[in-house]
Amino acid sequence: MSGLAHYLERHGLPTTVIALIREHVERMRPPRALAVPFQLGRPFGAPNEPDFQRRVLEAALALLARTDGPVLVDFPDAPPEPEQAAEGEQEGWACPITFAASTDALSDAEKFKLLLKQEIALLRPWYEESVERQGGRRLDGLTGCAPEEIVDHLVDYLDDQTIASFVAGEPMARAIKLCADDLKHFCYQAALSRPGTPTGLELDNWFFGQTMAGKLHIELRALLMSMEDPALHRVGAINLVPHTMTHHAEAAAGEQVKQP
Amino acid sequence: MVFMRDMNDAAFERIMNQELPDYGDTPCLDGPPLEERKIAIVTTAGIHRRADAPFTNGVGEYRIIPEDADMADLIMSHVSNNFDRVGFQQDLNVVFPIERLREMVADGAVGSLAGYHYAFMGATPPTAHEAVARDLAGLLKGDGVDGVLLAGV
Repeated sequence: MSGLAHYLERHGLPTTVIALIREHVERMRPPRALAVPFQLGRPFGAPNEPDFQRRVLEAALALLARTDGPVLVDFPDAPPEPEQAAEGEQEGWACPITFAASTDALSDAEKFKLLLKQEIALLRPWYEESVERQGGRRLDGLTGCAPEEIVDHLVDYLDDQTIASFVAGEPMARAIKLCADDLKHFCYQAALSRPGTPTGLELDNWFFGQTMAGKLHIELRALLMSMEDPALHRVGAINLVPHTMTHHAEAAAGEQVKQP
Repeated sequence: MVFMRDMNDAAFERIMNQELPDYGDTPCLDGPPLEERKIAIVTTAGIHRRADAPFTNGVGEYRIIPEDADMADLIMSHVSNNFDRVGFQQDLNVVFPIERLREMVADGAVGSLAGYHYAFMGATPPTAHEAVARDLAGLLKGDGVDGVLLAGV
């Protein structure tokens, strides 16, 4: 971001940067920067807070008048906190999945697919509600695959790592990452519409700690981290489970070790 | 929460010790008052229209976001998981403040908006952006832009 500011300003375009990592702009010295004390991922502070977003925007654009750079100004205020959900609404949202019929004849992979698809079916009404509330905005769509198809692809890969890439033109490491993100975005959009105001941390803990889709991410992470191919290993190590959520992966690994 | 202060030691150190190029100082260009400027947004949030190809790691490419695009069609393919996406999922403006900018134009606080905004994906070495930034500068000037708002995630 700071590099782009240097390049653009040197090619005739006045720039102003919103910086979430103050230390980086201190070192890279872009012509003008507003350092903001917000979460990574939220350069304008908080969702659905138009007045606050406007103040941040005005502060950043006001710097365009300055020619005494490098200018580094701190935005003084923390973003508004979301209203706390009523007691009881903060509890996790475990989808009550049960097998409707005997699964004795199914393989483990088939059972896993069945559970994942039941979860998708339970989430879908909330997903559609969320799409409607956001005026048709959909957060998934990176691959063109429906969530149920993604489940088939990813569980097939867990079962057999010699299968061909399931996203046209993409190598397997990228196909896995795109499919996993698409499934995750579907689940998050569904969760966003449920009553209460979950924080990002609550949603992450719900997804990685309580959902079958999160369990799928964790199993893929473990598999890919055991592989020698550098691209696959990298997706497993870095791109599937955020570092703030790796305790769920460690807990799952511990449970597997305990099993006879 | 993904505040820097809440990161584990390894993640914090990785970000703090990230190798960054030294660009020296770049003189600040002068320009007209804000109410006469044409503003473009350049984001590194890795967002793009649904029909566009997802971002590729390490390439430094960009996607265009026309001012008249359906903003509800923007999705995120950023490779990193280590920043909050829930804010973006609840409200596009938390990373791409298009509605706030349009309000400022309507109020007369900003002159106008560019015909095209641009999205890169962060987590890319800054030097990978150099060649495309030169190209981008020409496109922005061709659009009559004289103020660029850069926002990362």
